[in-house]
Amino acid sequence: MRSPAVLLSLVLLTPAVAQRFPVSEHVLANGMKLLVHEDHDIPNAVLYLFFRVGSRNERPGITGISHFFEHMMFNGAKKYGPRQFDIVMEDRGGSNNAYTTRDVTVYTDSFPKSALGLVFEMEADRIQHLSFDPAMIESERGVVISERRASVENDNFGFLHEQLYATAYRLHPYRWPVIGWNADIASWTLEDLREHFRRGYAPNNCVAVVVGDVREAEVLALAKRHFEAIPSQAPPPQVAGHEPVQSEERRVTVRRPAGHPSLLFGYHVAAAGDPDYWALRVLAGALCSGRSSRLHRSLVSRGRLALSVSCWQSLTLDPGLLIFSVDPRPGMDPARVERNVLQDLERVRSGAISEREMRRARNLLLTAHSRELRTNSGRADLLGSYEIFSGGYRKLFEVRDNLERVTAADVQRVARTYLRAENRTVATLVPAEDERDGSKR
Amino acid sequence: LGVALAACAAAQPAGVKLPAYTREVLPNGVVLSLMERRGAPLLDLRAVIRGGAESDPEDLAGLTSVVAEMLRRGSRTRTSDQSAEELDQMGATLETSTTPQCVAILAESLPGYAARLVDLVADAILRPAFPEDELAKVVTRHAEEARAVKDSPGAAVWRYFRAFYFGSGHPYGRPRWGDELSVRRITRPLVVEHYQRMFVGRNLVFTAAGDFDRQAMRSLLVNALGELPPGEPYRPLPDSPPVRPPGRRVLLVDKPDATQTNLLIGFPGIHRTHPDRVALWLVNTIFGGRFTSNLNEDLRIESGLTYGAYSYFNQNRLTGAIVVSTFTPVETTAEALDHAVNALVRFRQQGISAAQLASAKNFVKGTYPPESLQTCRQLATLLGELELYGFGRDEIDDLYSRIDAVTLKQANAAVNTYFGAKNFDLVVLGNASRIRGALRKYAARIVEIPIRQPGFGVSLRFRQ
Repeated sequence: MRSPAVLLSLVLLTPAVAQRFPVSEHVLANGMKLLVHEDHDIPNAVLYLFFRVGSRNERPGITGISHFFEHMMFNGAKKYGPRQFDIVMEDRGGSNNAYTTRDVTVYTDSFPKSALGLVFEMEADRIQHLSFDPAMIESERGVVISERRASVENDNFGFLHEQLYATAYRLHPYRWPVIGWNADIASWTLEDLREHFRRGYAPNNCVAVVVGDVREAEVLALAKRHFEAIPSQAPPPQVAGHEPVQSEERRVTVRRPAGHPSLLFGYHVAAAGDPDYWALRVLAGALCSGRSSRLHRSLVSRGRLALSVSCWQSLTLDPGLLIFSVDPRPGMDPARVERNVLQDLERVRSGAISEREMRRARNLLLTAHSRELRTNSGRADLLGSYEIFSGGYRKLFEVRDNLERVTAADVQRVARTYLRAENRTVATLVPAEDERDGSKR
Repeated sequence: LGVALAACAAAQPAGVKLPAYTREVLPNGVVLSLMERRGAPLLDLRAVIRGGAESDPEDLAGLTSVVAEMLRRGSRTRTSDQSAEELDQMGATLETSTTPQCVAILAESLPGYAARLVDLVADAILRPAFPEDELAKVVTRHAEEARAVKDSPGAAVWRYFRAFYFGSGHPYGRPRWGDELSVRRITRPLVVEHYQRMFVGRNLVFTAAGDFDRQAMRSLLVNALGELPPGEPYRPLPDSPPVRPPGRRVLLVDKPDATQTNLLIGFPGIHRTHPDRVALWLVNTIFGGRFTSNLNEDLRIESGLTYGAYSYFNQNRLTGAIVVSTFTPVETTAEALDHAVNALVRFRQQGISAAQLASAKNFVKGTYPPESLQTCRQLATLLGELELYGFGRDEIDDLYSRIDAVTLKQANAAVNTYFGAKNFDLVVLGNASRIRGALRKYAARIVEIPIRQPGFGVSLRFRQ
């Protein structure tokens, strides 16, 4: 419970927001966690299944195997054969998707409330009885290799991003891309797949979240009926490979056809559960969120050096990267833009952030957070993410307090701690054509 | 018991109703629609100014989009930096966008900032200053973005398609955000004149949705918008679909470094208020509007030629196109193109079954509420759209009964009217030297342009 004094200061800073909502929590006998939030605004609901398995749980030789399941999970199980998951889902008015990160694999179903029972049945079928048909596996490898071609090899940003991580990490599994290296995609075995699935997709490794026009009692009954009999498994092995402390700046430069250069600056930072997490969020917000942020002004609106600048810190279980991304204007020398960025980052280490900047960053972060709260999908995604990354879904309701608690001194402290040259990796994309022009001259 | 009740409900999918809202016309012609949504985490204000890119003079493509962007680049009471700072202080956003038929200004904030947000939006609409230095920046940005988009073939191919399909004589054939050439002709007097003519009371629709008191919000907006002069309403152009000879035409945009090919196939569609709109929505869902559509089943799931194949139909004020879209590695360009064209041929020959129609109805009804009726932003947008096209709330309230009423015969008539492969425009963006040959069977004459050529328009250089 907040004290009245704190509440008073909040009133001045941020208007009251409907940030809390009722959630019921259940743990099935096999260890699967279930979170339910009723919202009867539209006659629809979502089911999000979070599995605590991602590229972090891989090893060289099987990189990308977690993401591969994003494909495998649609290729048939016992009751619903190949493609039936999608066909039946869409027939009944639902749609689905999935995403894989370094830490989790998430399956998302969005459907009219009439399809609730069906969705539970179909999910249970594939979690329990996924088919491992060798022919299907071979053809799916090809699909993933072409996905990789589209999203990495033919995408300047995707390519540069991959290079940044491969350079910033030397030991920890965050060094390989979520989609995996081509050689691994081509060569993992049926046994690798079975083993990854057995542990990764065990019910005790899963958080299920239902949000929407449902009744909690009905959801619980469905979960018991369809999920509770699935046997639990030993959890995936501990992730090995603590990343050694980086001791000097690292750089990687790639030359590719492009209309403009690109720059990525990655700094090793604390994981999502660390006390520095919120101060880092405010630091990133003060530097990059909004048109009046420091970097936007200095690079885009006043400096006119760049088309855009952005900054993000992914939710990660182990220490991740705080990334600044800058797209210099066409023809601009990336080295000049880099100097400018580094000066701005140095300034935040040496001089304090003003109260105005603090308020702006907090309010922008709070608005962005509220944007997630607007939809059933957004709330389900937040509930599952906070449950896994932040030590429990209830932390979701502390976002505003956590933002308010961060002081300007905290922000300067984390800037000094993390934004150091020796903790930095710079990835630069130089347009190949500009290079050729240069050599002609 | 809970389960039994839900099972009963499942047999009769609920219809959807637009939540309650009020609509009035202010003395200066401004249409004001307000929807109170208690408990909503964000407040959305949306202003729609009729006209849009359609109102650009023929040689000044992008003028409307530049005017729109300049609205938040300084007013008579605030500099561009000051308004950015005030918005950021609240954590609010104010975006402008240009569609073929309107300029939209969308402002979003935490609910407690309603009065300040209204003031900033009103400033943008009523008192823009169009400072020369900001205009120069915006013009340069538009020119640079027109160049930069060519690094993203999936986005660029649509701009080439519109130029090729509609032609420069049609407003939809000219680049909505301008190109490197057209935006350089935009000067401050042109911007001011266009603004003064278009931004008048009788062209403005203002909608708001969120956690506010309706009366308080109304008086804020009446005060803020009341001073806008009524002006003359925009007179929309008559609908004139592009005139094209029957048969197939092919445009090849050469990007020599491409290892993938982007393909668009377009043919005549409908306008937003066309009576076939629900039937076309359903049949397009089956053909290419969802993951398990005929098109995606064929190109992605069965043959692995692509990561995605979809078809879309324009829903604008003037008659637009239906467009089939996919991408594929350069090596499989010919095969992917054959599959897409054959899917069109088969769709027309075979039509759809009763089961497919039922499935499409479920899909459209099941996905519509989260996509259109969930957030205040969606609702404010929807209210503006109803006004823009002259719809009443029955457009939403009766939507499910209109979907249910489409018969198999009507659906197949829509297939027959709109789909087929006899006449189409094919736009291909990729490595011309490796894919040119594959295109010859689709047209005797291929128009080819290099991607580095400024703009998206087609020069008259034909390759036999």
